[in-house]
Amino acid sequence: MKAKRDLQFDAIVIGGGIAGLQSALDLGDQGYTVAVVDKDATIGGKMIRLSKVFPTLDCASCITTPKMSSAAHHENITLFTYCTLNNLDRQTPDKVVAQLIQEARYVDPEKCIGCRKCEYGCPVYVEDDEQGGFNMRKAIYIPFSNAIPQIPLLDVENCSLCGKCAKVCPTDAIRYDMKPEEFSITAKTAVLATGFELSSMEQKPQYGLDRLQNVVSSMQMERLLAPHGPYNRVLRPSDGKEPDSIAYVQCAGSRDESLGIPYCSRVCCMYAIKQAMLLSGALPLADITIYYMDIRAFGKGYEQFYQNAKAMGIEFVKAKVAKITQGENQTAKLRYEDQEGNGGVMEREHDLVILSLGIVPQWDPEGICSVGCGQDGFIKSIMPKIAPTVTNIDGVYTAGVAAGPKDIVDTITEAGAAAMEASNYMKSLA
Amino acid sequence: MSEEKKQSTATTDMKKLRQERKEYISGARDKMKGQNKIIKALKEALSGDPKTIPELAEIMGMKTDTVLMYVSTLKRYGIIGEGPKDGDYFKYELTK
Amino acid sequence: MSETKKDESGEARVGVYICHCGGNISDHVDVEKVAEAVKGIPGVVVSHTEMFMCSDPGQELIQKDIESGSINRVVVASCAPSLHETTFRGAISRADMNPYLYEHANIREQDSWVHHGDPATAKAITLVAAAISKSRGLEPLEPIRVDAANHTTVIGGGVAGLRAAVDLAKSGLKVALIEKTPFLGGNASQLDKVFPTGEKAADLIAYLTSAVIKDPNISVYTCAEITGFEGYIGNFNITVSSKAPQGDMLHQVQAATAGKFQPFGGFLPKGIPETDTEETLTTGVIVFATGFKLYEPRTGEFGYGDNKEVVTLRQFIRIMDEAVPGTGTMKIDGRPIRRIAMIHCVGSRQIPGIHEADADDYMNEYCSRTCCTATLQAALEIRDKYPKTQVLDYYRDIRTYGHNQEDYYTQASEKNVLFFRYEPEDSPVITKTVGEFPLKVSVIDKLTFNEEVEAGVDLVVLATGMEAKSITNLVEMMKLPVGSDKFLQEVHPKLRPVEMANGGILLAGTCQAPMDINESCNAAQAAAAKAAAKAAAMLGKGYVELDPFVAKVDPEKCKGSGECITECPEKAISMTADNIAEVNPALCTGCGMCVAVCSVNGIDIQGWGLKAYEDMVDAIVKF
Repeated sequence: MKAKRDLQFDAIVIGGGIAGLQSALDLGDQGYTVAVVDKDATIGGKMIRLSKVFPTLDCASCITTPKMSSAAHHENITLFTYCTLNNLDRQTPDKVVAQLIQEARYVDPEKCIGCRKCEYGCPVYVEDDEQGGFNMRKAIYIPFSNAIPQIPLLDVENCSLCGKCAKVCPTDAIRYDMKPEEFSITAKTAVLATGFELSSMEQKPQYGLDRLQNVVSSMQMERLLAPHGPYNRVLRPSDGKEPDSIAYVQCAGSRDESLGIPYCSRVCCMYAIKQAMLLSGALPLADITIYYMDIRAFGKGYEQFYQNAKAMGIEFVKAKVAKITQGENQTAKLRYEDQEGNGGVMEREHDLVILSLGIVPQWDPEGICSVGCGQDGFIKSIMPKIAPTVTNIDGVYTAGVAAGPKDIVDTITEAGAAAMEASNYMKSLA
Repeated sequence: MSEEKKQSTATTDMKKLRQERKEYISGARDKMKGQNKIIKALKEALSGDPKTIPELAEIMGMKTDTVLMYVSTLKRYGIIGEGPKDGDYFKYELTK
Repeated sequence: MSETKKDESGEARVGVYICHCGGNISDHVDVEKVAEAVKGIPGVVVSHTEMFMCSDPGQELIQKDIESGSINRVVVASCAPSLHETTFRGAISRADMNPYLYEHANIREQDSWVHHGDPATAKAITLVAAAISKSRGLEPLEPIRVDAANHTTVIGGGVAGLRAAVDLAKSGLKVALIEKTPFLGGNASQLDKVFPTGEKAADLIAYLTSAVIKDPNISVYTCAEITGFEGYIGNFNITVSSKAPQGDMLHQVQAATAGKFQPFGGFLPKGIPETDTEETLTTGVIVFATGFKLYEPRTGEFGYGDNKEVVTLRQFIRIMDEAVPGTGTMKIDGRPIRRIAMIHCVGSRQIPGIHEADADDYMNEYCSRTCCTATLQAALEIRDKYPKTQVLDYYRDIRTYGHNQEDYYTQASEKNVLFFRYEPEDSPVITKTVGEFPLKVSVIDKLTFNEEVEAGVDLVVLATGMEAKSITNLVEMMKLPVGSDKFLQEVHPKLRPVEMANGGILLAGTCQAPMDINESCNAAQAAAAKAAAKAAAMLGKGYVELDPFVAKVDPEKCKGSGECITECPEKAISMTADNIAEVNPALCTGCGMCVAVCSVNGIDIQGWGLKAYEDMVDAIVKF
């Protein structure tokens, strides 16, 4: 058996989303060698999957791809994608060790040139989560067009082993018998930038448990609005109708003790307003309504963004939506208590309803790493006011949404802070 | 390694893998069969004039959301294109 | 790679790459048509479109064409060059070609975001054609190298400045920390406990100041201001003027103990200047941490100034600190405070047409981020300490967004803080009354379906917002970018959130936007990381690299008239012994004033020569 590889770096960054990439770039630029580990087959995290970002309305790709690309080409940064983290802990003051598994892509990364001939040749279609489940990819596929690395992976569970991909591959890169490989990375310091998941649509039975037509999650809506989206335009998923009436249900997964998510997820107000603005650009005739408890537009330029949205004619209704049911003609019917006007219980039907889901941690360190977490499951800072990235493990830091909900601006800033702590930790060893 | 020998090792390895992944393979084959049927019906339905999703669903006797899923998938791989708009719906057509 | 293959100085073979920008451009500009239209322009050998040119596949497209030897000039048509010019220059460098053989056409901000349909496509063709024409005449250039100082300067001794100074010093850099007042700690010194941890602000400041005082790499200048500034990244020269404190300031200093934290004053370091002095420092990077000032309500705004019973939240924090605890009802100067009204969004979220603008027609349209939680924190403290004192809370939206902050809101409701929601056009009105209570608050309450609610109160607390501090001198001296909200402006909130457009000048904390302490510290550390990275790059090489778009004298043509020297706003040009003008490239900003006044065309800007403009205009006329 081949000896397990052990690789040495100055720093290891867990998570290749925007937080991890920014930390890696800030460390790499200071001359430290950095390993970036991601469980996904591509770096870029949640941000690369978004359409445009508030409050500048830049396309998310315009900001993320250059950072992805800088990291990929950085002389001090090495990317490890499609890896599972089995263990990470500090062993000595100058040694933190990560035990990893390189999962099998079934494609030889050294040989593959990313031409996607395999993908076009593959005869099996599989529902594509990257596109909100609204269309299908192949059983061998590159996750999305600006993925890094541009290497496909084979979804074995949906592969018929027909051999077509191997046949069309010009560089003989398909390896049907590839096996996962264990390896380890030893570094002096680590940054945990493990990011978030959206809260589950099924958590709130009153909102239809994901079974109602045309009730979608905010991330699915990002895909509908994205340039590489499933329909290349906004359509109602039940039948392809261009929606006339669209509604947002705010705090659908936040500020709700019954969901176990009592906290505010910080970004949902702003992403809903942003999506509403994009929608009113794409569908100028559509009515757009946002049902909300409080609008939390607190960042730089955010309040002005909110006021612009109001001026554009987006309707804000202060109300907590109690229930969603199927309405006539594939609409979704909202039942809510109106807190303005005359009050009382109201009902309204919309072609498309977006649940503004909240943010929950993506990674549970239990059994993998002794880093401390708060009751909410996010990684806990032991000096939350003046050194927010410091965790209970010496020389191990956290950044971005791994440490609690945050928007992209705050995430990128915090990633810089984590890099500062990490580099100063290394200086203190010398 | 000669072309012939390479072929034969590959065949034995594949045999072993096929055995290991028997369940996945049969699942994928069944899936493919169903998909091919729908894709064939869809292409037939689109052989004439461009059609909307509800029109296609009616012809194919299928649910509109399933039809939309297939149309957008084939659009992604360049087999179907978007045509003119008809009321609230877009029409779709085969490319070339 | 061989020079001959790329043939950088030989006949131009231009590669044109047009970006869809994921629809940002291609929704309005027919990019395929643009790519087709420019194919016929002399010199163009390839013309491609791509969904995202800035993505890896996009950049590789350029690299492949360079490496195959088919092109030796690159034109990318995409977003503003401020976003991605460096991205594409980097790609070109990686393909081993001179990165300055590159021209950028902005067809997003200057086209697809402002024009639509055929005119947008037509303009894109014109812009790309102009860029192609210019690119044909480009020459390979080398960046300018200048020496770099192993020294950083932090302006402002508040939490952000202290945090940045500590981190910079730890990373091995010398730091000058410059504070205008005699005290360190800034605005945070005016707080008692901080949310959501309940720590004493004094303890947090003590932690940071003790680190600052202990570190031999940090020199603290209190009572000091920057009065002179020149130079460039790696080599700024700043004049620091320190003045002995006088008047009120002197009294405050005398009341405090050196080396100790003075409650609601700050930490007084030893060595307060006794005479006025001036010192010049050479510094490589400057971090701005000049902080914010609190909004001062206008007289009459919510009764402020007209009634002593109307105070700001900051004043109230101090009042509460001094009040006697444990009587059931709060008392101020013996006066029982049975009911307190707290009003949110005073001096924040102002709306044109509803709120009153100042003399410059300016108002604070932004949210100040911290006041909601700070107000609820104070409300809870009242309810805990003085259970018989009622709290009425008048808000627009409760923005307890941060970690553990929602708890304050939930607890406030549980502890019977009464909430009223108002719309800005129906803000609460404070009037004097005679009778049981000195003041009356009237509001149209949205929570009870526009019921008009009146309540007598003993005290009104205004949650005033944060404003940009007036640092006009520094802004003018250093030519800093300021946003429409008057705060200092970053290059881009996501691409470069802690950098200003001025090379080597960074941002930390509330001089950029309202933030709480945790966010300020993150920003300060991020700025320190950027500074450390810049320093690592500079010190590793011993120099800084600057863009070579600077003036260059043609000694053959120069007649030594000196007109350029008189005109140069940067004082970057001097005369040599041979009576020929000479440019200091480190000081030159490439503004072109010298080019305009030279009567013999003896001076020109590298990469942006007169010929380049002529070529571009010719192309524009033609297309």
